Amino acid sequence: MQSAFQGIEMGKRSLFAHARALSTVGHNLSNASTEGYSRQRVHFSATEPLYRPDLARAETPGQIGQGVDISRIERVHDQLLQGRIVANSAGEGYWQSRDKYIGQLEQVYNEPSELSLRSRMDKFWDSWQELSQYPEQMGARQAILERANSLGDGIKLRHQQLLQIGSVLDQDVKATVDRVNQLTTNIGLLNMDIVRVKAEGDSPNDLMDKRDLLVTELGSLVNITIDERDPDEYSIHTNGLHIVQGAIHRPFELQTDLENEGYSAVHWGDVKSRFYPDGGKLASLLHVRDIDLRQEVQGLDNMAVNFIDLVNEVHTQSYGLGGQNNVDFFVEHAFVTNANGNYDRNGDGQMDHSYVFRMTGSNALDAKSQIGLRGTLTLSGPQGDVAVDYFPTDTVEDLILRVNLSGAEVVARLDRNNQLSLKGAPSAALGQPDFVIRKVADSGQFLVGYSGLLTTSGDAGAYQFNRQDAVSSLRTGSDFAVAPVAHPSGWISVNQQLVKDPGAIAAALGPNGKPGEAGDGRAALEVAALRQRSVMVGSSPSFDDYFSDRVVAIGLKGQEAEISVKTHELIMKNLRDMRESYSGVNMDEELAQMIKFQHGYNAAARFITTVDGMLDVIINRMGV
Amino acid sequence: MDRVSSNLPNDNMQYFTRQRQVDMNAMQSRLASQNRILNLRDDPAAAGHAGRYQSFNTRLERYSDNIQRSIEMYRSTETQVRSALDILHEVRQLAVQAANATYPAEERKIMAGQVDEYLQQLVQVANATDGEGNAVFGGFRTKTTPFRTVDGVVPGHGSSVMVDVEYLGDIGTKQSEIADNQYIDTTFPGNQVFWAENQSIFSARDASSFVLGQDSVISIDDQSIQLKQGDNVYAVIAKINDSNAAVKARLDPIQNSLVLETTNPHQIWMRDQSGTVLQDLGVVKDPESNPPHNLANGATRFGGSLFDMVISLRDNLYANDQLDIGGRVLSGLDKAMGTVLSNLGSIGAKTTRMELAYLTTEKLIPDYTGRISRELDLDVTKAITDYKVMEMTHKAALSTAARIIQPSLLDFLR
Repeated sequence: MQSAFQGIEMGKRSLFAHARALSTVGHNLSNASTEGYSRQRVHFSATEPLYRPDLARAETPGQIGQGVDISRIERVHDQLLQGRIVANSAGEGYWQSRDKYIGQLEQVYNEPSELSLRSRMDKFWDSWQELSQYPEQMGARQAILERANSLGDGIKLRHQQLLQIGSVLDQDVKATVDRVNQLTTNIGLLNMDIVRVKAEGDSPNDLMDKRDLLVTELGSLVNITIDERDPDEYSIHTNGLHIVQGAIHRPFELQTDLENEGYSAVHWGDVKSRFYPDGGKLASLLHVRDIDLRQEVQGLDNMAVNFIDLVNEVHTQSYGLGGQNNVDFFVEHAFVTNANGNYDRNGDGQMDHSYVFRMTGSNALDAKSQIGLRGTLTLSGPQGDVAVDYFPTDTVEDLILRVNLSGAEVVARLDRNNQLSLKGAPSAALGQPDFVIRKVADSGQFLVGYSGLLTTSGDAGAYQFNRQDAVSSLRTGSDFAVAPVAHPSGWISVNQQLVKDPGAIAAALGPNGKPGEAGDGRAALEVAALRQRSVMVGSSPSFDDYFSDRVVAIGLKGQEAEISVKTHELIMKNLRDMRESYSGVNMDEELAQMIKFQHGYNAAARFITTVDGMLDVIINRMGV
Repeated sequence: MDRVSSNLPNDNMQYFTRQRQVDMNAMQSRLASQNRILNLRDDPAAAGHAGRYQSFNTRLERYSDNIQRSIEMYRSTETQVRSALDILHEVRQLAVQAANATYPAEERKIMAGQVDEYLQQLVQVANATDGEGNAVFGGFRTKTTPFRTVDGVVPGHGSSVMVDVEYLGDIGTKQSEIADNQYIDTTFPGNQVFWAENQSIFSARDASSFVLGQDSVISIDDQSIQLKQGDNVYAVIAKINDSNAAVKARLDPIQNSLVLETTNPHQIWMRDQSGTVLQDLGVVKDPESNPPHNLANGATRFGGSLFDMVISLRDNLYANDQLDIGGRVLSGLDKAMGTVLSNLGSIGAKTTRMELAYLTTEKLIPDYTGRISRELDLDVTKAITDYKVMEMTHKAALSTAARIIQPSLLDFLR
């Protein structure tokens, strides 16, 4: 039996449904510019018709429609596209921040201009040329002092700039790790809410939009993958490990890394193991800080320590105006203080290592003469020892070149007295000290009897830095210089003795170990000649090469970053456009829907009025 | 794309406008700074090259200065040497005149007075200083008067006159770098310019049984000669003869002693650098004493300076020794003039060389400035046209954007 008020009931359902649809249109229009918002669609469906085929069924023909209901409100969303966006945002995050910081490193160079460190050094060499022309004069010496101060300031300034970039990077690492922790916490909370809502059979559209937004941001910070196989447990992995598992999240924590300038290292908060991200902003920050910036600082240090050593080598063997001899031109404050280079590395109060930067053999060699010996040199390298073979037909020059190209962290050259000089280079491994020769051994006689550096050949006579008094394996008559313990570029300065007495700046070589005459400018000429001489500044043969190599290296990094950031931004733009095209709100569409729903609403109201009229006829006009 | 959201055209417009503005800003900065390379990444290789060229140019400018200065030094040295030569000409004329038997002793004494004046002028020339107070002919000893005169009495003349001129300088030569790793001497030591004869030194000690007890180094004319333990005198002689010093050694056949002779007119400059070889061979006193006043007792030296020749002429004039004047003295003066002339020639040759080097360097500077400019400077024409094109596209994009950020249905709803 059909109710008299059934029409009003049906009309009411329609009114409600259309009002809901209209309010969803309003929600869409309101959120048209909300980041990460997906438009929502209302799904209408016909209400269950009368009657179901059971015992209560009335004996009337046909099923009777009961109007409309809203079955669900859904967001228009492409889950796979979202997955691609998350996967690609790591690349964009990585290159955007790398591009920014490499750009800052480039600016430190001030190249190519007259303000660069290179031009300051040019002027320094030029002042020695001037002194070689006027060795009698005080003016030329004052000029050297000024130029040397300016150069020292330049080196220190660059060092400071690099340090500043380093501390900004470190701050950024901290902020990024904080942000990652914040994001994973929020994602965990959202996961909890979403599961609850879903359990009630609703679709938590806005919550899921919010989670997608957070996950995309997280993806730009660290490399993540998303696992949605279990609908109740939304998981995020990084490097194959859970970072979010449903409502649970695993935070990162920061620890000070004493082996790396005291910068923060990222660790898992729960298991405390070190975390090395592979992508995203965090990875780029750590890479720039621990690789690129470190190389810059090492490069500058390397230049400074070699520069100081070479200038001092000539200067200490030369004579000032008043016959002053054995005076260092540059001084370094933070060298190992022990005369034998002994150093307490682990800080337990016992000398346990020897930090030696340079060792020089006692015999004068001829670069062009053949060695006539056979053997293998063992030198410390970036990953373990590096072996360099030599043969009787090699010339000294050949072998030196082979050592320098071997990739060992020890470089060789013949110094001004034609003695073989081995120097420590910056170390690639984080834990090893820079500018320290770690191992030198020779299975034959080249380093032993020929160049007069080691006492005995073979492993028994090897120079090993991991003991105190390692220099005892060096032959008497050989020479060595201890290594710096702080950044040499941060501490370089002109010897104060020279500032007080510029006359002590040496221009003369002097005859036969006697003070030179006033007009002797040979030492000054020799200092000026260091500029182009093959002096092995790390792997760069000369200072000119060093400056050129560094400029090209950082420039190329910048170029790579710029191209990569553009590529990744374009990829991301295309993906975002696709998402926007699918999920974004189109006002025209919404307005058209609005008109449609409005008309639907009006029609439903009209229908109720009609039913009302029908009831009015029955109740008031029947005249019963 | 088959569907467009209302925000998409706006987002795209913003994206591309932003990109273009970045490019336009970079181009504007290039135009303003006239530099092609704003950041190293713009062209790392070019920046690397430009750095090298800039450094090279700094050096070239230094070399150019050095060359000019060396030319100036040669000019002033040449003036002094030429004036010495002029004096020698006068002296030689007097010698030729005095060798003539027609002049009586009194006239020769008058001539002697004249020669003495010339001699003093010669010493003054040899002790000349440059504008900065440095001795021109003193080697490295620029603050010392290079030639010291010793006065004494000579037969035939009453009062005291100059009897000897000693060299107090050394044999160092100042050098200038005139190109990368290319050096040139800019000074000439006085004991080379003002010398007349080849010098020889005779030791008085028998060296036939000499054997070297330890590795030693001797220095002759600033050339280090390495000697090994066990070398006998013949080995020492061979090593001296093989060295680059313009000195030959031999063994005196009668006394079996070492004899050193120069191969061109100059003073021998020798010392024991380590060990005592020369001392043991009876040539020098001890390693501590400085050349040239370090001859061993008993060793004799022959061959004198230009001043010795002029002094000898003057003394012979006082002594009225007409034969010696015409023979030994005249030949000595000719040798002195020969040495001075050859030094003058060498100075002239060096000047010419430096003038050529100057031209080369001065040509290289603009060449390399050109290279730097090619690497770094902006092609302004291209930059401006490029900029104009960008500006046009920018305008077009903005005006279309203003029109096509679409009219929406809202515009038509009442």
